Amino acid sequence: MIKKKMTHAVLLSCKKASALIDKKSVLELSWIERTQLHWHTSICDGCRFYEKQSVILNNVLLHHLRLSENETFAIVQNQELKEKIATKL
Amino acid sequence: MSLTTEKTDANTMLHDWVNQYSDALYSWALHKTSDKETAEDLVQETFLAATRAFNKFENKSNAKTWLLSILNNKIIDHYRKQFRNPLVRATSQIEKNASDLLDNFFNEYGEWTQEQRPQEWKEEENLLDNSVFNQTLAGCMKKLPSNWFSALQMKYMEEKSGELICQELQITPTNFWQILHRSKLQLRKCLEINWFAR
Repeated sequence: MIKKKMTHAVLLSCKKASALIDKKSVLELSWIERTQLHWHTSICDGCRFYEKQSVILNNVLLHHLRLSENETFAIVQNQELKEKIATKL
Repeated sequence: MSLTTEKTDANTMLHDWVNQYSDALYSWALHKTSDKETAEDLVQETFLAATRAFNKFENKSNAKTWLLSILNNKIIDHYRKQFRNPLVRATSQIEKNASDLLDNFFNEYGEWTQEQRPQEWKEEENLLDNSVFNQTLAGCMKKLPSNWFSALQMKYMEEKSGELICQELQITPTNFWQILHRSKLQLRKCLEINWFAR
């Protein structure tokens, strides 16, 4: 158990490593954070998948939440709204 | 051209825009907010703002693009308010539950628990444009506490630095990335169960 704690102090726990992986897409990591994360993911499959999937999540969220120029989405008609706005102009 | 003719011209044009684009604007607002009433309000505000700013519109640019950019700003404002809404925050017992839930992800040593350890996802082509996948994603997002949902909207809707978003929200960067981290932990798991491990 003590050995485990010491290892985590140097190589990070998965809880800490996964947090740094997501922190990275908001803020720049410090040198020591980057190094520790690199060591951790080189020995931990779970966090390596998490890192890869965090990037996939960024991409799908960007695509889903941002409107691109030529995007076509299902048009919902709302005649009532149209008339309501016309009277207010 | 006299001032009155100019005004009438503008008015005719705005009415044309309402006819041509209000359904498209409404559909986008509905996609973004999943709420009929909110979406209608946002589209109305968009046209009112367009009326006020009409002389800033240059005929060269595309009217629909211009209106959509106004609408997008309105949507971001909406989520900013949602995020700050003290009622939403105070009643978010859900958020407390969600944070308890995070303890399920890791054991006492901070290692992934057996059932939460991320599995490899098989790669799929055209995932981004797959409408069934996007529905699954939307479903997973709806399960998040409402101010986490707002935080995701603000992070991904526009190209803004994390620092700037935090300034506008008056929260610390640490607070912000931790909210995003928890949201992504949950989204990842939800997508794994409902999509990647089907």
